[in-house]
Amino acid sequence: MSYLEHNLRTVPTGLRKVLYVNWALVLLLTAVASVGFMMLYSVAGGSFTPWAEPQMKRFVLGLVAMFIVAFVPIWFWRNVAAVAYLGSLLLLVAVELFGTVGMGAQRWIDLGFMMLQPSEVTKIAVVMILAAYYDWLDIEKVSKPLYVLIPLALILLPTAMVLKQPDLGTALLLMIGGGAVMLAAGVHWLYFGGVVAIGAGLVTGVFASRGTPWQFLKDYQYRRIDTFLDPASDPLGAGYHITQSKIALGSGGWSGRGFMQGTQSRLNFLPEKHTDFIFTTLAEEFGFVGGFSLLVLYALIILFCINSAMKNKDRFSSLLILGIATTFFLFFALNMSMVMGLAPVVGVPLPLVSYGGSAMLVLMAAFGLVQSAHIHRPRRL
Amino acid sequence: MIRTPLRPLARILQARAKGENPDAIEKENLRLRHEQMRDQSRTRAESRLWVLALAFMFAYGMIGMRMGVLAASEPQEPQVAVSGSAIVAQRADITDRNGNLLATNLATHSLYAQPPLMVDPQRAAQELVAIFPDLEVDRLTRQFTGDRKFIWIKKRISPEQMQQVHDIGDPGLLFGPREMRLYPNGRLAAHVLGGTSFGREGVRSAELVGVAGVEKEFDQYLRDPANGGQPLRLSLDLTVQTAIRRVLEGGMKLMNAKGATAILMDVHTGEVISLVSLPDFDPNERPRPLAQGDASDSPLFNRAVQGVYELGSTFKIFAAAQALETGMMTPDTMIDTKGPLRWGKFRINDFHNYGPQLSLTDVMVKSSNIGTARIAMEIGAERQRDFLGRLGLLSPSPVELVEAPGVKPLLPPNWSELSTMTISYGHGLSASPLHLASAYASVLNGGYVVQPSLLAGGRPRTGERIVSEQTSAALRDMLRQVVVRGTASFGEVEGYSVGGKTGTADKPKPTGGYYEDKVIATFASVFPTDKPKYVLIVTLDEPEETSGTEPRRTAGWTAVPVAAEIIRRTAPLLGLRPDIEPASTFGVTLTSN
Repeated sequence: MSYLEHNLRTVPTGLRKVLYVNWALVLLLTAVASVGFMMLYSVAGGSFTPWAEPQMKRFVLGLVAMFIVAFVPIWFWRNVAAVAYLGSLLLLVAVELFGTVGMGAQRWIDLGFMMLQPSEVTKIAVVMILAAYYDWLDIEKVSKPLYVLIPLALILLPTAMVLKQPDLGTALLLMIGGGAVMLAAGVHWLYFGGVVAIGAGLVTGVFASRGTPWQFLKDYQYRRIDTFLDPASDPLGAGYHITQSKIALGSGGWSGRGFMQGTQSRLNFLPEKHTDFIFTTLAEEFGFVGGFSLLVLYALIILFCINSAMKNKDRFSSLLILGIATTFFLFFALNMSMVMGLAPVVGVPLPLVSYGGSAMLVLMAAFGLVQSAHIHRPRRL
Repeated sequence: MIRTPLRPLARILQARAKGENPDAIEKENLRLRHEQMRDQSRTRAESRLWVLALAFMFAYGMIGMRMGVLAASEPQEPQVAVSGSAIVAQRADITDRNGNLLATNLATHSLYAQPPLMVDPQRAAQELVAIFPDLEVDRLTRQFTGDRKFIWIKKRISPEQMQQVHDIGDPGLLFGPREMRLYPNGRLAAHVLGGTSFGREGVRSAELVGVAGVEKEFDQYLRDPANGGQPLRLSLDLTVQTAIRRVLEGGMKLMNAKGATAILMDVHTGEVISLVSLPDFDPNERPRPLAQGDASDSPLFNRAVQGVYELGSTFKIFAAAQALETGMMTPDTMIDTKGPLRWGKFRINDFHNYGPQLSLTDVMVKSSNIGTARIAMEIGAERQRDFLGRLGLLSPSPVELVEAPGVKPLLPPNWSELSTMTISYGHGLSASPLHLASAYASVLNGGYVVQPSLLAGGRPRTGERIVSEQTSAALRDMLRQVVVRGTASFGEVEGYSVGGKTGTADKPKPTGGYYEDKVIATFASVFPTDKPKYVLIVTLDEPEETSGTEPRRTAGWTAVPVAAEIIRRTAPLLGLRPDIEPASTFGVTLTSN
């Protein structure tokens, strides 16, 4: 069903849109971000600089962006999905050409007022183009091979470019996020089975090619996998992150050491303590209770999104919301798994909590899309 | 898929007949079809959503559980001594029975070159040769200017040398940490420890691999990190080992022997307290094996374990043991010693003529070959073979040295009656001094079999009895008599009642037959005889005592005085108190003022 069959007059217009915003979601996002402010404040040793204050400013900026995106009708976003996708690909090419190299990877573009990480934009753009594609496609054709190849190409093109940077975490997010949209759109099971088989083959290939001149991954990526499989093998080398964060989690126990009392993270045992590994600070200072509460907040956000997606009768809207929710879910699931040693260390931040500009802004804009879909959902007279 | 047509002819005709608009029917049908399609995609979408939700929930469960597990875990700091490379595996130390270090590791550095990084290869080569004179300038220069990207220069260097190389200041000369094995006592216990060499070598570390002795035998254990760096505790006693080595070295020179070995064993546990083989070597700089010639001429050769010799009359005690144990004889049974004893074309002679007959004790004391051969005839080949087998004299020694399993005692091809006779006095069967030590310990400790062991604590005793308590005591008494009034009179050590049996065997020529003037002299002793604690075997290779008019080679003149000196020195170290002779034996002089 599409908007053509609905009376547009049932969709709120003007300032009335404010009433139809999913305020609970806004509240949840603010709560999660606040957890982030607290942790950044604590990590800096009880100071708003250098991290907590810029993060707060960016969050406010993000909120504004979210509302702007939310008030623009969702069909506008559907119509520009292709533009957004092409734009993000251009950005990826641009980062390859003019990007700033940071921490062994070429990931940033300097926009003057902020550093933009195009791969963040890509994550959302891929979800948008896929949702738009399936909205356009006749539902009977969804599982036809040709029509499966098109979205596959749409996913793999940016994935390959991101892998080149190299950014394993984002590549993983792109593939799983895109896959989730395809799954929700109703592509036949066998395709997913095939992809899993190919994935298994690829993993074997990656390991088999190790040490040869044409190996797939960089040495440090292999080492990360090694240390994931056996962190104790090199506790002071590449396994350092994981070992130290596990210690932090263990020392937090059930109720934690108390706000600003964390030692493991504040005594500089942990690198990246304000970005990818900020969860360890939370777990050390607020223990299992604190960590689990954050998990519950995230879960509520996901639940609101799924609920909204299920109720939304517009195909683009519901697929978009699901894709964004999945991407969001992958963010924190991967991050927490990595911190707790369930997954290899891939550079994925804890969404809305980790210190970082582009990730926060892009995520807030993405939730703007969710809100827009929510506000402009088709209603019967 | 069967679809209901949008314009069913029947209904359209009906409608037309009634004057209704047939388009309404089409519209209605279209609406129904759309609704049906929507419902279909709806249910499918919902089922897919559930799958996604389930995957999410599963991930949530995993993360939550993991969080709980980690929260409940005790935080533990990682414990690995050295970081970096996988092959850094500290080799455990080796200590003696009292915990004194016999082998440990020392952190040094290796020196290597990366020619692409070199500033001035010519100068670097010249200065390196000034520091290490064994290097050659031309060769180094060639290597440094060649295509190779990596060159080992020295496997291990001292801190001073490292500083000197550092001062050359060439960025292409690099150091890697390197652990080496250090034997702080040098030559002491060289044959027991064996030695190590580097296995796989990396820039950041190198593997230490045992190449001989206990280092090789316990290689896996020493390298196993699971043992937590627990040292390997040997049964050796460093102090006793030092004393014995010193006395033996002096004795070897004094007796003009080309080799010597001494084994001190605890009679009850089989623990080897000391094992010396001379000439020896420094395990820190383990020499290469001889490229040609007899392996037994190499200092690497462990005479105590690898040397199989005909041990001569020391074997007679086993014939006596069996004669007593079977109840065939008592120590006073008289035995025919009329010589020569003829057997086919062979004749068995004694050193001197000891008259028509001797008591069993005197056969031992005088060391009569004829008497012993007659006893062996009474016992028979089967029983002799079985007895010696149970004493472990017919199979490789079970001692924990990697060399031991390869050393098989030399047995006669068929155990004939002649063999039975010659073996009874120690000819025709070759075994190592260590074999003799454990066999002596077994018959003299009260009569249960012990196995030689180099580990503190020994092996668990099997409890197999070889002779009775009484037989064992009688044998000790006989051995005591040998020292008091027999062939080993130089073996008397004041305050310690020493018993023992001499053995002098002609050395076999490699071409067959025996040398006239080359012997293996052995003294197998036990002390104290009343309460046996230790067995000492001293074997000299080609000794010649030259203080008299004629060179004397018999054990009584060569091995026995050396053994006596060893006992005199080590008995106090072993915590044995000197005491007066037990009243039962004679030859005691109680001096009083």
